[in-house]
Amino acid sequence: MMVEWLIDNWLKITVPVLAFLGCYVVGLWVRRVIHNAFERWGSRVRWQGSKSVMEAVHRPFLFWFLILGVVIAIQVSVVTPEVKSITTRAMGSLFVLSFGWLVINLFGQLLEIYLPRLKARWPTITLAKNVIRATVVIVCALIIFEIWGIPTSPLLVLIAVAILAAALVLRNAAPNLFAGLHLSNTQQIKVGDYIKLETGEQGYVTEISWHNTRIKALDESIIIVPNNRLLQFTVVNYGHPLKKAIEPFRFQSRTYIKELTGLKAKNLRELVDTLKKVPDSVIYYHTHHFLEEHHYLIPEPSNDFAIWVNDLLGEEVLGERLASVNTFEFPNLGALRERIVVIIENHLAEGCNAREAMPGREFCFMKSVSVVIPTPYVAHDLREFVEALRKISLGSLYFHVFESRLRLGRGLNDFTIWLQDSLQENELGEEIARLDPYTYTLEGLRSAFIQLIEKRIQ
Amino acid sequence: MIQNINSTFTGGGVAEILSRMLPLLEQLGVDARWNTIKGSPEFFQVTKKFHNTLHGRQEDISATDFDLFLEVSQQNIREMELNGDIIFVHDPQPVTMVSRKKEIGRRWIWRCHIDVSQPNQKVWSFLEPFIVQYDAAVFSAPSFSHHLPIRQYLISPSIDPLSDKNKELSQQTIDSVLEKYAIPKDKPIITQISRFDYLKDPVGVIQSFEMVRKSIDCRLVFAGGTASDDPESEKVLAEVNERAGGNPDIHILLIPPESDVEINALQRASTVIVQKSHREGFGLTVTEALWKAKPVVASAVGGITLQVKNKFTGLLSYGIEGTAYALRRLLTNPEYARWLGQNGREHVRYNFLITRHLREYMLLFLALDHPQDIIYL
Repeated sequence: MMVEWLIDNWLKITVPVLAFLGCYVVGLWVRRVIHNAFERWGSRVRWQGSKSVMEAVHRPFLFWFLILGVVIAIQVSVVTPEVKSITTRAMGSLFVLSFGWLVINLFGQLLEIYLPRLKARWPTITLAKNVIRATVVIVCALIIFEIWGIPTSPLLVLIAVAILAAALVLRNAAPNLFAGLHLSNTQQIKVGDYIKLETGEQGYVTEISWHNTRIKALDESIIIVPNNRLLQFTVVNYGHPLKKAIEPFRFQSRTYIKELTGLKAKNLRELVDTLKKVPDSVIYYHTHHFLEEHHYLIPEPSNDFAIWVNDLLGEEVLGERLASVNTFEFPNLGALRERIVVIIENHLAEGCNAREAMPGREFCFMKSVSVVIPTPYVAHDLREFVEALRKISLGSLYFHVFESRLRLGRGLNDFTIWLQDSLQENELGEEIARLDPYTYTLEGLRSAFIQLIEKRIQ
Repeated sequence: MIQNINSTFTGGGVAEILSRMLPLLEQLGVDARWNTIKGSPEFFQVTKKFHNTLHGRQEDISATDFDLFLEVSQQNIREMELNGDIIFVHDPQPVTMVSRKKEIGRRWIWRCHIDVSQPNQKVWSFLEPFIVQYDAAVFSAPSFSHHLPIRQYLISPSIDPLSDKNKELSQQTIDSVLEKYAIPKDKPIITQISRFDYLKDPVGVIQSFEMVRKSIDCRLVFAGGTASDDPESEKVLAEVNERAGGNPDIHILLIPPESDVEINALQRASTVIVQKSHREGFGLTVTEALWKAKPVVASAVGGITLQVKNKFTGLLSYGIEGTAYALRRLLTNPEYARWLGQNGREHVRYNFLITRHLREYMLLFLALDHPQDIIYL
């Protein structure tokens, strides 16, 4: 009976089977062709994700041809329309599920490749994978509901509300994420670049994460800038770090209070006698205080002795001789004192000692008590150094250039010592050392240093 | 805690600085207090004599005056609660408070705001035994220092640029003040702002003005108030009014206390500011004028020489004729006057604002415990 039925209907069976097998064979062939073509493209563009795509698609691709074979076989078979309809829907559902599974797998692998590049941590990667899984499952469910004719409107409303809520929660994070991807792709700003924002923040980029960019500022603090803001700002990118110093330069600042010695001189003899016995700090004060007190006006390469002798004693010739003492030429305060004493004594030897200052207009010997304060600015290379130089107070500039050289007896300014000892920038250090700081206002001196260093960096 | 002690809460530069300084110290986390000594009018007459003679003026000071001073001082020493870690005594009136140092210890600073470059030796010798008991003395100008066995510091006073006396004013406000005091704007205005005090040489100012007035049509405004610790000012005012003799171009104005905006307006309305003092502790009115970028003619005395660098930030003078000559130079050379005024403003910006003053007080407190010349923090 069974044999008879087969003999009568062999064609009705054979055609669907052949259709199924045909799809299987075509599937195998198409998979091979596409696989080979994709492999060639992947090796040409060297895309790291190409292997993941091939592995993820390999099995489902044949499975989809088998599903197609079943659908065609059922359609050409003699089964009832109800069976055909149910089978087609079932196959459609199977296809949707397998495609969803493929998308979840593929995106999972791509996220594992790309999110670590944006410094995303594992919880973030897991969260992103779960979001994709949930999205795919929901979309697949909706499609399958549609295939089976189940109403989807209530579910769609629910999903819309959920998406809205999620959008509200992530409204700040999303632009930053996209900005981070943009920064990563364009490579306009990279880790290690020295950048300066229009808002004034500056420093080396230490990290670009999916949400923000971290900058190590000159005071060694970390500035966190949301990626989205970074794209909105005008950013000056000075590029990669320069040669690092063996020891960083730590800027200090200095302020002072004036101490009165109570010693006074009313004529040249008293002036020179007192000059010989006062401490170095008195010599330092009377040859340097004008630099800070009148720095806004003009460079005033003079000293209190010259001014007093000229204005109060009316000794113009001696005043000129004292004013012409070039403080920059002296390696220490002792030598400077000696020079001033010799000039006055030579003048006295010429027999000029008659004039006395009016009462109340005597020369009053003073000294400064310096208070040295650390600042937050630290420089590890020339870029950081020049940027810090723009920011430090005039007190800081004064301390490193004038006070350190002569009062602390270092012989050279601190900048030159650091440039030569820690950065091996001997030529630049020498150029800075050669600059006579007494002929500049403090702001002028700052500009001159910056110009020299910028020239060297370029 | 910093405990400030002086003789008055109102009038004069000391009270003005303390009233501005204390809130700022508080904001920096420094507990700063302010006490005043008490005294009868007779006591303040004696301290006024001290003030004048320390400035170098001749006054007759008797043994009774010294006795009265010591008697009232003893009363203040007994009554005043001294609880500061640093006790900051201002000027000679409360100088004897340091007598309690042996009993209570603490750090003691004497802040001398007056010109003691050529003091009456009798008064100075009387005060010196008290002064040397302090840990440090602070003066407003180098020439005020003396041979003392204690450390002496130079700290200039200061102005607060945001106070009513120094803030920017609208032209409308300035005009309304001129209108109030019936000062027409038809001529250049020469102004001296100071207490009615012989040491400010108000008569000398009028004489200089009269010399200028011979060749340049201008007005003189002499405006000032009185301080509660200065019993002499009314007498000086009467003399000044008499000397002005009804000259319509001379405006003698007695400005009541708390009239800072009016003083500000008068300074801003002026063409030139003059400060023809015989003696001056520092001369904050000069600082105020320089801050307003006004050309200044001032006597080369006391702390004025720190502010007016001759021919750079103003003009210095030594007498009535010299003051008149300098005034004429400025009135006939407005460009030069403007240049001096701008330089003066910058000089004050960097050296005589309250922020610098505050910093130096903090450094002074620090230096009390650090004898070395370079302190590393």
